Amino acid sequence: MRTRIEVASLFALVASAAALAGEVVAPARPLEDPAAVKAAFAARIGQPVHVLSFSLGEHYANAIVQNDAAPDEFDRYEMTPGQPMKDGQPQKNASVDCRKSIAFADLDLAAAARVLAEARAIAAANGYARPENVELGADVFCNDFGWRARLTSEANSDAFLEIVWAPNGTSPKARQMKDDGWAKVDMKALAAGAAKVPSAPPRNEPTPTRGDGRTRDFTQGIEADLRRLEAKIGAPLAFKHISVDKDQLSVDVFPPDKRKKIATWIVGSDGEIRLWREDDTIPFDCNKPFAASDVPLTQLPAMIAGAPALIPPMAHGWVRNVHIYRSGLCGAPHVFIEVEDHRGYGDVEYDGHGRLLKAAVK
Amino acid sequence: MRARNLLLAVLFAFSSLAGAAEPPPASDFAWPDLANFLEQLIAKVGTPVKVYKLKIDSDGKVDLWIQDQDRPDLVDSYEYDHGVMSAPIPVKFKHYPTVAAVDHHVIELTTIDFQRLPSMLATARAKLGLPDARVSLIELERGDSHGFLTYSGIPIWTFFLSTPRHDGRVELNLDGKVLDADKD
Repeated sequence: MRTRIEVASLFALVASAAALAGEVVAPARPLEDPAAVKAAFAARIGQPVHVLSFSLGEHYANAIVQNDAAPDEFDRYEMTPGQPMKDGQPQKNASVDCRKSIAFADLDLAAAARVLAEARAIAAANGYARPENVELGADVFCNDFGWRARLTSEANSDAFLEIVWAPNGTSPKARQMKDDGWAKVDMKALAAGAAKVPSAPPRNEPTPTRGDGRTRDFTQGIEADLRRLEAKIGAPLAFKHISVDKDQLSVDVFPPDKRKKIATWIVGSDGEIRLWREDDTIPFDCNKPFAASDVPLTQLPAMIAGAPALIPPMAHGWVRNVHIYRSGLCGAPHVFIEVEDHRGYGDVEYDGHGRLLKAAVK
Repeated sequence: MRARNLLLAVLFAFSSLAGAAEPPPASDFAWPDLANFLEQLIAKVGTPVKVYKLKIDSDGKVDLWIQDQDRPDLVDSYEYDHGVMSAPIPVKFKHYPTVAAVDHHVIELTTIDFQRLPSMLATARAKLGLPDARVSLIELERGDSHGFLTYSGIPIWTFFLSTPRHDGRVELNLDGKVLDADKD
C-alpha cells in the first residue's frame, strides 16, 4: 500500500513537473538507471495504469498500458534513450488479446535489467545470440505472466530457448523448442554453460541442375523436362501431382528411397531443376503414385490450347493453370485445366485416356 | 419519360442531402455527390438500374456494381471518384452466379432512399456508443444479417466505423432499422 501511495504521488508530482517542463526526456542509459526509466514512463503516462507488456533494452523500451479509470482504454508508449517521449498511441481494443497485467506501481525495472544481464550471460555461455531485450507479459496462451527472454542462434535457425522470470525477477524457468514440442531445461545447467545450442541438422539437399539457356513455355509440353527430372532423380517418376503453367513446372513425386515422403521439384522457365521441399505424406491422403504413362502427356499442349474454346462463354479466355492428379477418392489420374477470362473462371477436365469429361463455367 | 422522372426524383433527393439548410446528423463525413454519379450513370446505361452491390469508402469514393440489362448474366462495376465516373469494369466472380441468382440478388435503385444515409450514420454511431467514429466503409448488398434475429436475403446497409480504440459494424435495413450491431 505504501508503495502505491508513493507511486500515485510520483505520478502526480512528475506529471505536473512534466506539464511545466513541456516534455519528458528518456534517460540516456536505461539499463544503468531503471528507476529513471520508470519515472519517465510515469511522467509521460500521467495517470494510474496497469501494465500489460513492457519491453526493456538499452536501445529501446515500450509499454502497453491499461487506464485504471477507463479499463477499455489501452495505450502504447515508446522510449528511445535520450530522446523526448511521445504521447501514448491508442490501441484498438480488439488488438489486446490477453489482459493479464500488473499495477504500474509494481513494475520492477531493476529486476528487468538484472534478468536481461542474466539472460545475456546464459546466451554467451551456451552459444546463443545476445538478446536485445526482455519483455514483461504473458505467453501466447495468456499464461505465465513474467519477464521473458527469448534466445535464438545464428548457427541453427531452429534453436529457440525461452527463459521466464516472475515479475519481480525471481523463480526463473527455461524451456527449449524440440522437434516434438517444448522441453524443460535446467537453469543450473544453463548457468554453467552445459546446455549448448543444439547443432543444426545436416542439410542433404541435392544440388540444383542449372538452366540450359533455353526459355520454356510449359504449356507447349513437359515431356522433355520430365525426362530430365527423371534422369536427375535416377529412377522412374512416381507422381502425386503435376502442376503446369507457362513459366513453371512443379512436380510432386514419391522419392524412390523414401516411401513416406513427398518431394516437390521445380523446373524453372530457364530449365533449372531444384528440389523445393520435402514433406511427410499425410495419413489417409491419396498416396498412390501414378506414372507418366497413366496420363496423356503428348496430348497435353493441344488440351491446354483448346480448353477456352470448350467453354463457349469463355472462348476468349486463357488457361490459368493445369493440374494432373488422381481424381476423387484416389481414382485414376485426370487432367484439370482452369480457364480464366475477365468475368470469371471455368473448368475443363480430361481423363487419363484424353477423353473430355467436363467443360463449364465455375 | 420514366427515366427522366426517376432522374429528377433522384436529383431532388440528393440535392437536399447535399445542401440541406439544417446540417444533417453525421455531416462530418465527406458524402459523395451521389446525385451527380447517378445522373452520369443513368445517362450512360439508362433505366432500370439494378444494384448488385454499393460501396462508399472512407474517402467518399463509390464502387457500384449493377446488372447489365442487355446481358443480365453479367455484372459491371462503375467507380465514382469526386465527380468522375469510370468506364464499366467487368466484375469477376470466383464462382459465377446464374442469371436467376443475379436477378434475385439485385436491388432496384428506386427502392433505395439515399437521403437516409446521414441519419443512418448517426444511428450507427449512437448504437455503437462511438459518437466520434469515422466511416471506414459503407456497403449495401442483399444478404443475411448477423443479428440474433435472422433476416435472410434482404438489402442490408452495413456501416463499418472506427475510432483509434474501437472498430464497429452496424447493419440496417433500407428503412434505417438497426438489424445488428457489433463492436470490438
